[in-house]
Amino acid sequence: MSTTLLQPDTSAGAGVLRLRMSGINKSFPGTHACRDTRLEVRPGEVHCLLGENGAGKSTLMKILSGSYQPDSGVIAIDGVDVSFANPLDGIAAGIAVIYQELDLFPDLTVAQNLYLGHSPSVGGIVRGRRRRADAREILKRVGATFSPDAIVGLLPIADQQLTAIARALTADARLIVMDEPTATLGDADVEKVHTVIRSLVAEGRSVVYISHRLDEVKEIGDRITVLRDGANVAEHRVADSTPDEWIADMIGEKKKELTAVTDRPAPTGEPLLEIERVTIKGVIDISDVSVRPGEIVGLAGLGGAGRTTFLSAVFGARRSSSSLRLAGKPLTIRSVRDATAAGFGLVPESRKTEGLMLGLSIGRNASISSIGAPPWLMPHRRGRALSTPVLAGLGVKYASVNQAVGQLSGGNQQKVVLAKWLTRGIRVLLLDEPTRGLDIGAKADLYRQVRALADNGAAVLVASSELSELVANADRIIVLHEGRKVGEFDPRLASEESITHAIISGKIS
Amino acid sequence: MTTVNTPPAVDVDADSSASASASAEKAAASPWRRRGSSWLVKGNLLIVFVVIVVIASLLSPDFLTVRNLSNLLQQSSLTGIIAIGMTLVILTSGIDLSVGSTAALSGMIVAITLDGSVPIPLAILLALVVGLAVGLVMGAIAAWIRLPAFIVTLAGLTAIRGAAYLTTDGRPVGQNLPESFTLIGGGYMGFIPITGLIFIVVALLAAALLRFTTFGEYIYAVGSNEEAARLSGVPVKWVQMAVFGISGLTAALAGILLTSRLTIAQPTSFTGAELDGIAAVVLGGAALAGGRGGIGGTFIAVLLLSVLKNLFNLMGIGSFFQMVATGLILLLALILNKFIDSRARNIS
Repeated sequence: MSTTLLQPDTSAGAGVLRLRMSGINKSFPGTHACRDTRLEVRPGEVHCLLGENGAGKSTLMKILSGSYQPDSGVIAIDGVDVSFANPLDGIAAGIAVIYQELDLFPDLTVAQNLYLGHSPSVGGIVRGRRRRADAREILKRVGATFSPDAIVGLLPIADQQLTAIARALTADARLIVMDEPTATLGDADVEKVHTVIRSLVAEGRSVVYISHRLDEVKEIGDRITVLRDGANVAEHRVADSTPDEWIADMIGEKKKELTAVTDRPAPTGEPLLEIERVTIKGVIDISDVSVRPGEIVGLAGLGGAGRTTFLSAVFGARRSSSSLRLAGKPLTIRSVRDATAAGFGLVPESRKTEGLMLGLSIGRNASISSIGAPPWLMPHRRGRALSTPVLAGLGVKYASVNQAVGQLSGGNQQKVVLAKWLTRGIRVLLLDEPTRGLDIGAKADLYRQVRALADNGAAVLVASSELSELVANADRIIVLHEGRKVGEFDPRLASEESITHAIISGKIS
Repeated sequence: MTTVNTPPAVDVDADSSASASASAEKAAASPWRRRGSSWLVKGNLLIVFVVIVVIASLLSPDFLTVRNLSNLLQQSSLTGIIAIGMTLVILTSGIDLSVGSTAALSGMIVAITLDGSVPIPLAILLALVVGLAVGLVMGAIAAWIRLPAFIVTLAGLTAIRGAAYLTTDGRPVGQNLPESFTLIGGGYMGFIPITGLIFIVVALLAAALLRFTTFGEYIYAVGSNEEAARLSGVPVKWVQMAVFGISGLTAALAGILLTSRLTIAQPTSFTGAELDGIAAVVLGGAALAGGRGGIGGTFIAVLLLSVLKNLFNLMGIGSFFQMVATGLILLLALILNKFIDSRARNIS
């Protein structure tokens, strides 16, 4: 392994940027993820990339790594224009990306992970001792205290994070992208990672740092680029600016007037569902969420704020300690079966892997939750009789209920998931990113159905990363941040700006 | 995004119905073709079966005799009964490697108890209960401790076979089985063997279970997408445990019938029967990944494999060559199925 130290600014000549991305454009069907986006990173700096969900950070980093190809734009590394056909090209050019979901091999040792694909070898036989010695040296440089022989999957998350960083060093990366490396770490471990980052930039390497924790950006960052809707909105030196300015840039010119679309009065009366407290140690601790009959309550928050975990826990799909009340009576939910028996239904985040049995027919999917009652006979005939009117009421377009559900469009598939619960009859509906991947018409249609359900007396909790969607459809919005409830907003009274501020900062302004 | 005010809502509406009708069109076109091709997959096996029967009757005048056909049913029935239980397990995406050992154990138990002058119904019931219990225990371990069914039943294969040996210290048993018991395995109603009738009844019961009960519906749901089934409130673990119980039960039934037919029980019987069963289920069109397949396919596949063997015997082909040929034919049939199936998927 060569462990050349990269001297800051001198070798390549002062003023040459480590990375220059300019005029980057990238479109996907339906969205324009990058619009003339620019990112400039100097040697030996920690450059933070900020933006709301969907601002284009991930897309930009995937273009940088070579996972995506831009529609147009220029990328230069140390002043040399490059173009990557795939991530291997990016690695060869000295770029390492450490994703939030660490792409390590949990069953292999640390040394094996560090040198996977380029182990020192003679004639195809790995030189294990040499590899271990090299690994030990690299681990020392990132301040790791564990052995190169440790099995990665058994290490604590913080040590796995260090392993991922060490792996970037084995490839001698000059530019290291870290996507929320500290999102799942405690304070002591965060400090560990920061120390490593400081030593990396002291060697002249550059780090692009993505984090939602602004206090962290303040501590570790040198400069900031803020993206909004795929475009650059600001660049700051961390030392010369404040988190409030960054938040203002991220939010942008949001409407400051009232944003609620509906002028319907908020439902009043006693709550149907009262969640006094739901905790999963180290993950979420959320108190005081209540939903009245006829009410749609939105759950807003950044990715990783705990929306999905919260809904799964309430639905009994994830083990948690919780105290709930339904219509005033205490309710214990230990399993999904408890939840469905109490009249709960969940439309999960991923309809293909969690919501539907894709190989089975529409009719069977729509009736699977309704056929559990005695005498447990004739599930098809009974299920069809129950589900057909529901499917028709939801306006699902299909040729035959015997058609495989996988053949339907996304919007119709999502309605089949909804039909599953309507067929059963529910009191509480939980929806997790219900409109992901749907076109605008299908989104509006879905919310119309959910509203109709609420009007029939159901209590609805809907999590979404698109605030505008919640503002347009929810009676009340609850903001979560890092596994905790920040506050509640009435979209009739609050501005989108103030809600966004709470989502990003975790504080009510 | 959807900052939908009242006026644009009309637009949105038009938009959605347009896209919806487009997808409905797509949907309307495909099921017809799909039904055609899935018929081909199912029909494929039936066609192969008919072709082989025709070839067999041309090659050997003995094939289409009542005696030969009734023999054939007799030979198919025990593997067939095992394969029916196996079908349910595989539909949930499980696998049961222990069926041969379970059959041997139950065969031994029924012989030992009958030698000890236990009444016939009681002896049969006891052997069945043992098979059911063994299956339920393995199913429970697989479901709740989340061990792969492959490993659990592999352990079962060895341990239960050992238990079968232990019952008599490895000796055959059942020298004085009552005649009314041996009649079950060896008897005929008219020219139809009683074991064949039992096979047919078991197949019909299993088919009815899959088609007409909620439990059957849950089996498909669990096999198709376990996580979605769980989140739909399906009692996934109970379903998984139950199918292994049924598989143990059918294996035990096969074991009892063999003891009855041979009028003696041997702890070595049914060695390798799990593989014959799995082969029949897979040849019958069930996906090892679960959620797809049925009793009809398994039933025909069991008969097909027997006819093939019968044909080889009538042609005087040696058993070593038979094994090679059977393996190759199995492989070819599966390749053909896969080919037709992937074409069917491409169409839709």
